Amino acid sequence: MFIEVSNLKKSYTTGEIRTEVLKGVSMRLNKGEIGVILGPSGSGKSTLMNIIGGIDHGDSGKVIVEGVEITNLNADKLTDYRRGDIGFVFQFYNLVPNLTVGENIEVVSNISKSPLNIDEVLVAVGISDKKHRFPRELSGGEQQRVAIARAIVKNPKLLLCDEPTGALDYQTSRSILQLLEQVNKKYGTSILMITHNTAIAAMANRVFRLRSGEIVEDSINQMIIPAERIEW
Amino acid sequence: MTINKRISRIIKENLLRYIGVLLLIVLGSFTFIIASGISQNLDALVTTFTEGHKQEDLSFRTDKAIWEIEELEKAANGIIEESYSYDAAITDSLTLRLLSKTEKVNIPAVVDGRMLSGMGEIMLDPAFAKANGYTIGSQIKTFEKTYTVVGFVSLPHYIYPLKNVYDTVVSPNNFGVGLISQEEFASIQNAATIYAIRFDDRTTSLNKQAAKFRALLHEKGIVDSEWIDIMNNKRARTVWASITGMKTMSIPIPVAMFLLCCLIIGIMIWRMIRHESVIIGTLYAQGYRRKELIRHYITIPLLLSIIGGVIGSLLALPSIAPAVLSMISYYNVPVINIETNIVNILIGILTPLLFLGLSSYLVIRSELKRNPADLMKGDRQKTKVNTLERSLKLERFRFSTKFKLREQLRSVSRLTFLFLGVTSASVLMLLGFTIMNSMNYVFSNSTNDTYRFEYEYAYKELQYGKAPDGAEIFSAGRFYSENNEGIEFYISGVESNSTILTLKRSVGNPLPNNQTNITKPLADRLGIRAGDTVSLINKQDGKAYTFHIDAVADSYAGQFIFMPIAEFNQQLKLPQNSYMGLWSTKKLDIPEEQLLGMKSLSETASAMDEFMGPMVSMVVAMTLIACVVGLIIIYLVTSLIIEENKSTISLFKIFGYRRREIKSLVLNSSTFVIIAAFIVSIPIMTASMDAMYGYLGNMINLVLPTIISPLYVAICFAAIMLTYQLSKLLCTRKVNAVSMTEALKLGAE
Repeated sequence: MFIEVSNLKKSYTTGEIRTEVLKGVSMRLNKGEIGVILGPSGSGKSTLMNIIGGIDHGDSGKVIVEGVEITNLNADKLTDYRRGDIGFVFQFYNLVPNLTVGENIEVVSNISKSPLNIDEVLVAVGISDKKHRFPRELSGGEQQRVAIARAIVKNPKLLLCDEPTGALDYQTSRSILQLLEQVNKKYGTSILMITHNTAIAAMANRVFRLRSGEIVEDSINQMIIPAERIEW
Repeated sequence: MTINKRISRIIKENLLRYIGVLLLIVLGSFTFIIASGISQNLDALVTTFTEGHKQEDLSFRTDKAIWEIEELEKAANGIIEESYSYDAAITDSLTLRLLSKTEKVNIPAVVDGRMLSGMGEIMLDPAFAKANGYTIGSQIKTFEKTYTVVGFVSLPHYIYPLKNVYDTVVSPNNFGVGLISQEEFASIQNAATIYAIRFDDRTTSLNKQAAKFRALLHEKGIVDSEWIDIMNNKRARTVWASITGMKTMSIPIPVAMFLLCCLIIGIMIWRMIRHESVIIGTLYAQGYRRKELIRHYITIPLLLSIIGGVIGSLLALPSIAPAVLSMISYYNVPVINIETNIVNILIGILTPLLFLGLSSYLVIRSELKRNPADLMKGDRQKTKVNTLERSLKLERFRFSTKFKLREQLRSVSRLTFLFLGVTSASVLMLLGFTIMNSMNYVFSNSTNDTYRFEYEYAYKELQYGKAPDGAEIFSAGRFYSENNEGIEFYISGVESNSTILTLKRSVGNPLPNNQTNITKPLADRLGIRAGDTVSLINKQDGKAYTFHIDAVADSYAGQFIFMPIAEFNQQLKLPQNSYMGLWSTKKLDIPEEQLLGMKSLSETASAMDEFMGPMVSMVVAMTLIACVVGLIIIYLVTSLIIEENKSTISLFKIFGYRRREIKSLVLNSSTFVIIAAFIVSIPIMTASMDAMYGYLGNMINLVLPTIISPLYVAICFAAIMLTYQLSKLLCTRKVNAVSMTEALKLGAE
C-alpha cells in the first residue's frame, strides 16, 4: 500500500471553541493510482491533504507513505519528505509572480536530487514556448500547467492537487485533468486530488467522500473514464 | 473616526519597523539641532569675544621702538598697542610664553579668578594650567622669578594657543601662555616687543589697509618683521574651521536622514494602501471621502515625524551646552552664555513633518485616485513585473542568483532606499577614517618624509656664512598670489644640495633642490603646473616677483615654494651669502636673543599624538552612528522583503526548502546591493572630502589630501557587513515565523 491513513484525528481550538476537523479518518491508496477526495467546504479535505503532504500534523492516528510513518517525522525529516517525495498543485497556482515560467520550475528543480529536464517537462505540459514569460502574461490554464510542471519536475512519488481545476473554465479544466492523467501514466506518479466536482471522480482509481471530518464513502472505481470524456 | 483606531494596531504589528523610521527621524532632528546649536553658539562666543576684546588685525615686530603711536593710529585709522612677549622655559620640554597685559588691543578676558592687580601675579591659559596642574593660588616658577596664579585668562589672539603660527595643533603639555603686568618685563631680559593694530574700518580689505599701514611704517624708516595678519594666524583662525565644519554638517546629514525617511515611509505607506486596496475600495463604496482616507493614512507619517522631531529636539537641547563646552575646551574663549535658538528647534520639528508629510501625501493621493471598483479588485500590483525585470536576461545565472537579482529589482524604490542608505552610512563611516588618515598622513608621514631635521631655528637678523655641522641654511618670505589675496604661503630658499629637504614627484622619485619646486597643495590651490611662470607678491615689500616653477612636489607638508637660496637671495635682493634660519639634526647652541623662534619636529609629533586621541574617539563615534543608521536601513529593507515574500517563503517551505536555503535566498538577496553601495560610497566620500578640504584650505590655510587607506576601507567594509549580518539575524525570526499555510490561503494568482 502506498498511502495508508489510519484513524487520523485533527482538531483546532480557537478560544474556547474546539473544532474537530478530522474525526478518525482512515484511507488507502495504491502506488500509481489516482485518488479523488470529494466533499463540501469544511469537510476536512484540505486538512487531510496537508497532513499527507507533511505541511500539517494530526493529533493522533497514523499516516504511512510508502512505508514511512510521516506522523513520527520531526520538522527536518518532514522537510526532506516534502523535498523528495511530494509535488503540490494548488487551486490558485501559487506561482512566484516575478519569476519567469522557467524560473518558477527551477524553484523546485533547484533543490531536487535528480530532477527531470525542465525543457522536457515544459514540452510534457504543453507550454514549451512560454518558458521566458512571467505568470501574469499567461492564462489561468497555462498558469496551472506551469504549476503542474513545477510539481512534477522533481519526479515526485505523490502529487497532491488541491482543487486543480477550481479556478478554471470547463475546457481548460478538462485539458488540465488530461494532463494530470498523462503525468500519472508517463511518470507513474500517484495522484491524490481534492475537488468539489463529483464528475472528476470518474477518472480516479479510488474515490473518498468526506463529510464533517469523516470518510462516508471509500470506493474503488471499476469504470474509469478518461479525462477527455468527462463532462459536467 | 473609528477607522483611526487601527493606527495604533498597525504600528504595534510592525513595531520594530516603525521604531527604525522613528530613530532615523530622531537622528536627523538631533544632528540638526545639535550641530547648528554648536556652530551658532561657537560663532556667537568667538565673535563676541574677538569684537568685544578688540582682536588684533595684524601684529609685527620692528627694528626700533615706535614712539609716535598716536600719530600712526590716526594715519592708519586704527588702534595700536605695544606689548611684550618672552618664552620662559619651565622645564626642558615645557615653555610658558609670558605676555604683557594690554589695554587697547587683544584685551584679556578673565575666565576664572581675578585680573592682575600687581607684581608677582600671573594669569594662565586654562588648558595649560589644567595639563600641568596649576590652580588659582598655586605658584609657577620661571627662570629667576616665581608668580602666583591669580586667575585664568582668554586672549583674543591666542584662542588656539599655538607656539608658532605655522604650527597646526596645540600641545598644552609642552606650551602655554601666561599674562603678567607690563611692569614685570622691566626685569626680563630679551623680551620681544610686539605691536598689534586693529583697524577701525571693518569693511575695507585687510590686505589693503595693511599695505597702507606698512607703507606708513616704511615712510617713518621703521623696518618690520614677523608680520602676521589675522587671516593667516592659526591661533585665531583655527576655531573658525570647527564653526564652519559644524555649520556644514548641520545641513547634509539631517537632510540625508529626512530624505531616507521619506523614501522608506513612502514605500511603507504605498505598500499598505496597495495591500488594503480592497478595504479602501469598500470604504469608498460605503461613502467615505478621499480626504477622509488621506487623513487616515497620513496620520502615521505625521505622528512619526512629530514624535521623532520632538524626541530629537528634546534629546538635543540638553546636549548643546555640554557639546559647546566640549568643543570650546579645544580653544580658549570665555563662555559667557550658551543660548538655545528656538528657531532651530522649530526647524528640527517642522522639517521632518514637512518632508514626510508632503512625500506621504503625494504617495497616498496618487494611490487613492483609483476608482472603488478598481481598488476592490485587490492588489494586482504584486503580480506586476516592471520593465527592468522584464528586460533582464538572466538565463546564464544560477537559480539563486536569478532569484536574488529579481528580488532586488522588483521594487526600484526599495532598492533606491537600500542603496542610498548604505551609501550614506558608508560615506559617514569612511569620512571619519579618512579625516584621521589625512591628518596622520600630513602631520606624520608627509612631514617626516619631507624634512629630515629635528630643529628649526629662525633668526631675528639676517645671518651670513656657512651653517654649523649637521645643519643647513634657509631663508623664507611670505607671498600671496596677485589674483588671490586669501592664499598666503612661504617661498623658501634652501641649499641646492640639501639633504634635509626631500621632495618627491608623484611617481616617487626625488626632485633636485637646485630648481624651483612647488608643493602639491599650493600648486592645486593656485592652479600652477610645472613649467609655469608666475608672478607673486611679497608681503614684506608689496612688490611682485616672477618665478619659474620647475616641478610640482607630491608633498603635503605645508604650502611652499622651494628654490635654491642663491636664487632666492638674488630675486629678493638680499646679500648673496645671507640666510634667515637653520635646519638642524641636533640641538644648536644659539643665544636666545638672536632667535625669533625655534621649532622641534618631535614636539610637533607629540602634539599630533595628543590631537589624534580625541580624533580616534570621534571616528569611533561616527562609525557607531553609521552602523546604527546602516542597521536600521538594512533591517527595514530586509523586513519589507520578507513581508513582500511571505507567500514565496511559504511556498519554499512547502516545496521542502530548508531554513538556511530560504534564508540564503531571501536574506542574502541584498548582499550585492550593499557591496555596490559601499563601492560607490568611496568616490562619493573622496569628492566630499576634496570639497571639504578645499573649504578648509580657504578658511585656515591648511590643505589636507584625501588619502584613502586600504586598511580603513577594509575596516569600514567589515563594519558594514557586520551590520548587515546583524540585521539578517534580527530578521531570521521573521523568516522562520512565516507559516506554510500562508501559501495555502492565497486567493489570487
